[in-house]
Amino acid sequence: MSKNENFDVCVIGSGAAGGVMAKELCEGGAKVVMLEAGKGIQPWELLSHKWPYELPFRGFRGEKQAPFYQGDIAKSIAFADSDHITIDRVRVLGGRTMHWNAVTLRYAPRDFKEWSLQGIEEDWPLTYEELEPYYDRIEQIIGVCGNDDHLEILPAGKNYLPPIPFRCSEHILKRATGAMGIPLIAVRKAVLTRPYDKRLPCHYCGHCMDGCDVASIFSTPDCMLPKARATGNFTLRQNALAREVLVDQEGLASAVSYIDTETRAEQQVKAKIVVVCCSTVESARLLLNSRSPNHPAGLANGNGIVGHHLNGHLNESLTMYLEELEGQKPSNQDGATDHVYVPRYNQLFGKTDYIGGWGFQVNYSSYMFPQQATRLPGYGAAFKQQVRRMQPGYLSFGSWGKVTSDNRNYVTVDPARVDAHGIPTPVVHFRFSENDHALWQAAKQSMLEVSSHMKGTVFTSFGNGPNGFASHEVGTVRMGKDPRTSVLNGYCQAHDVKNLFVTDGSCFTTSSEKNPTLTIMALSLRAADYIKEQRKTGEL
Amino acid sequence: MERRELLKIVALTALSQKLNALPGAAMSHMQVAPAAPTATAYTLQFFTGEESHLLDQLMEMIIPADDHSPGAHEVQTNLFADLLVASSSDVAKKQWRDGIRLIREEAEGSSLAEALRKAASNEDNPQTDLERFFVSLKLMTVNGYYTSATGIHKDMEYVGNTYLAAFPECTHPKHQDG
Repeated sequence: MSKNENFDVCVIGSGAAGGVMAKELCEGGAKVVMLEAGKGIQPWELLSHKWPYELPFRGFRGEKQAPFYQGDIAKSIAFADSDHITIDRVRVLGGRTMHWNAVTLRYAPRDFKEWSLQGIEEDWPLTYEELEPYYDRIEQIIGVCGNDDHLEILPAGKNYLPPIPFRCSEHILKRATGAMGIPLIAVRKAVLTRPYDKRLPCHYCGHCMDGCDVASIFSTPDCMLPKARATGNFTLRQNALAREVLVDQEGLASAVSYIDTETRAEQQVKAKIVVVCCSTVESARLLLNSRSPNHPAGLANGNGIVGHHLNGHLNESLTMYLEELEGQKPSNQDGATDHVYVPRYNQLFGKTDYIGGWGFQVNYSSYMFPQQATRLPGYGAAFKQQVRRMQPGYLSFGSWGKVTSDNRNYVTVDPARVDAHGIPTPVVHFRFSENDHALWQAAKQSMLEVSSHMKGTVFTSFGNGPNGFASHEVGTVRMGKDPRTSVLNGYCQAHDVKNLFVTDGSCFTTSSEKNPTLTIMALSLRAADYIKEQRKTGEL
Repeated sequence: MERRELLKIVALTALSQKLNALPGAAMSHMQVAPAAPTATAYTLQFFTGEESHLLDQLMEMIIPADDHSPGAHEVQTNLFADLLVASSSDVAKKQWRDGIRLIREEAEGSSLAEALRKAASNEDNPQTDLERFFVSLKLMTVNGYYTSATGIHKDMEYVGNTYLAAFPECTHPKHQDG
């Protein structure tokens, strides 16, 4: 161990949660060190605008997003007793803010009260009203476009940037949903539609998830780290893979041990407060790997809850080719991927025999590749002409649905399976519940019903069961009112270890159908305010 | 800074990289689509010359040249297939080699066109190795053709992956949601 540095706060992870935390605490006067297991990518290193024929395998081997999955991160995980799910773990400065789609939705008041209102799961230890000021602040910080649509199921802020215009196919979809009494709104995204915070507006190239080279979409490296650096209080350690949070004799966090992945040397940083923001599975992995006499089952895991209650989103997609648009002259439809959103609507139509709902994301994939060519039967000249004729009619939408939080779904670590640096890797156990299956069936049926209100060719790829988690996994280090059934309090502070905080998606008590990132950032902002107050009063 | 002024700066970036501190490479998409890569000698990594020739013929039948655009032969989709299969699993390699053999044998008693017709006869629910091979062959052809410069720019006339100062909302009265 060659370094032994002292900081006020160590933030582990540089994604949505870590970026907010580092910026806020640095601006509050704390000396912050951020550990990031990956390294940064310069804008000119992104492959966003490369044509397929400029890539070695035309993009079919994930070349465009490969820079976000550094080292062995994609391989160092195992699934046991699991349904069809994927876990999206990136390793790059900025975490998933480097390749997110930037849909930013507030949870509704009811989403924090599943037990009180529905009799399942648990209530969160905080309410929408308590989080609302932080939603307001974070939307201001990151820049969000959209409208206040006055929907109870999807609360809104008051200061959005102008919404992104609709495509023709989205007007047609709105006509269909409107006929069914289902609202369709302009999407709310952390994408700039006018200059904001010294950043350029979107140029509508359609490559949001391959990395934005002009910082029009929010990312931690573009939007948070410059502000943290400007304070003079910020230190960044890249290629720093956290191995273990170390504790003192009282069992409080005292330092973080990490591996420099370039030199393979083990290093340590000392900090008075440790904030874990490594993403849902990696945060649980880190705590479970942090065993000591005071915490023999892992840090903050006296009740055995760490790693449990893994959940996320289930999703399905449907593609249509609208007769109304087929055969038109090709036009530039790329845009900023999603331009519209269909908020949860099943609550508008009476009681269901399952809990929860889904929303539709729309047109979130590229217009460059004619997907119908992989689905249409036949070959030859007629096939080729048909592919070309259909393309202007392209419309896709997918349902993102709630998955219930269940103690039986969990992540553990396997000491016998280690990564390239000798650190035990996560093992995932997950089964969808009966409620999840019922919701999935209802979502599929509803998607088909919506499509039946439009004229065109429909392609689905519905499988035999739900798919998860659409990069939206949450819940392994949950917050709660009861220290017996949760790891954290409402400020993301560990019940057992008062100077340990976890503010990424793992802290969610339950999930809703809404994309989680805005709530992650709002919770991290609230936790940062709490830490600042506690530092002032000497509690921390 | 006013939006109009800012957009003007962005539009000028390709000429003056210093104006907004964005590296030239990052803004390369603002220029016109590049010409198709210059043909360079490609050495087959998996298929034999005879297999590759057969693939070339089959792929051109699947996506043929017409009066609108060239077909799979001109964009050398068979070489794309060679690159992909060469870096695939041993199981996939065997399926391709066996599939080519099957369709060759089928053609010996009739013609390549007839063999392809037979292979494609049960596309939605393939039951035989020949029918399963057609599904793989067609998907490879589609993937190779529609990711080639010719497929993207000449056939599909794709006009995206570029810079737009503003996204053009659909204003066609027929398409409005009312």
